[in-house]
Amino acid sequence: MQDDKGSKGYHDVGGDPAGGIPQVELPWLHWEKQVEAIRGLLGDGTRRIVSLDEVRRGFESFGIDKYNSLSFYRRRLEAMTDILIEKGIVTQAELDGAIEVGTTRWSNLDKTP
Amino acid sequence: MTRFAAGDRVQVLALCKEGHVRIPHYIRHQTGCVTEYCGTYLNPEDLAVGKTSGPAVDLYRVAFAQRQLWPDDVIPAQDTLVIEIYDHWLTPAQETDHAP
Amino acid sequence: MPHDHEHGEHEALIIEDEAGNIQAQVVVDALQRVLTAKGLLTAREVTAAIAKLESPGLHLGAKIIAKAWSDPEFKERLMADGRAAVQELDIPVTEARIIVVENTAQVHNLITCTLCSCYPRSILGQPPSWYISKAYRARSVREPCRVLEEFGLDLPRDMKLVVHDSNADMRYLVLPEPPLDFENHAASDLEAMISRDHLIGVARDVA
Repeated sequence: MQDDKGSKGYHDVGGDPAGGIPQVELPWLHWEKQVEAIRGLLGDGTRRIVSLDEVRRGFESFGIDKYNSLSFYRRRLEAMTDILIEKGIVTQAELDGAIEVGTTRWSNLDKTP
Repeated sequence: MTRFAAGDRVQVLALCKEGHVRIPHYIRHQTGCVTEYCGTYLNPEDLAVGKTSGPAVDLYRVAFAQRQLWPDDVIPAQDTLVIEIYDHWLTPAQETDHAP
Repeated sequence: MPHDHEHGEHEALIIEDEAGNIQAQVVVDALQRVLTAKGLLTAREVTAAIAKLESPGLHLGAKIIAKAWSDPEFKERLMADGRAAVQELDIPVTEARIIVVENTAQVHNLITCTLCSCYPRSILGQPPSWYISKAYRARSVREPCRVLEEFGLDLPRDMKLVVHDSNADMRYLVLPEPPLDFENHAASDLEAMISRDHLIGVARDVA
């Protein structure tokens, strides 16, 4: 009788011990919808740039600490970004630059009289 | 012509494939019964690495006795679990395997 | 990256705090800007895609179930090819196939996705947070009866409990048993009685 079932990903939790189910209803936020919308567009018939399978592979490759520290939609965003960078569609530098611009805008909003 | 039909007894292989697979750990090596052929689809193991030109794979739903999946737990005999398994993860069950 | 973890008896569900949500908004906006600059998508497309994501919901699932109860031929078509039958109601379906699993006096069905969060999104919209939680995904396949108890559903133990793990290309809807007096109700009344919990299988009686 073989015992070796192969490696088990940290996402592969069927049958694992776990605590009570958090019966919360969280709102679906705009940024979360935007993540899904962008992923859907990038995966559509006219683009085929990032598939859902690649996004799954992405978050399955985070490592357990990163996976456990991110919310569900943040995982999708990070995984999608990882795949886009892996494929050379965007660079980390381009993204960082755009994030910096965006962060400045947000902090300037606080200063608006 | 698909390899399996509803009613066939099959065993789930443990292919020990690295990378993205959709066959959970808990079902590997288990023996169950095909309930239906679901269609033929591109292999997610290939799609996950951007390979869209690989061969499409037959997908089946397979039913397992819960009592068999979790032998250390107290479970009614009639409870089952049904899950989708791709053809290359299945082999015909051996005669010696226990029937659910 | 600041996060607020919910602790206590429940398994932690990672929930972004305000700073985390703002940061995520900044990141996704940045990504969108970079992709737009490369001509890969436009803001208008993203807006339209968001609207499309927001439109499905429980109301569509309820419509399908109420129709299946009152129209036996539709129900037969629904059980044979869920996607085709749902599309008869002008509900666009993006999933490869929709499998409808029927509750009976002897059988209760429960849907889960142990590997991630697969759910019939083009019909029902986004799954509830608990469906995505590690606790549900881990325990729904192994101790479904206890899981149902946590949702307030005590199943008679001679009832057959079937758990469906939607791990690949199929997506599932539970067809609950109709209320005993369903013929006395208008479709809209029946639809109002159906909850998302019924369609996933953590609730059973529709009344």
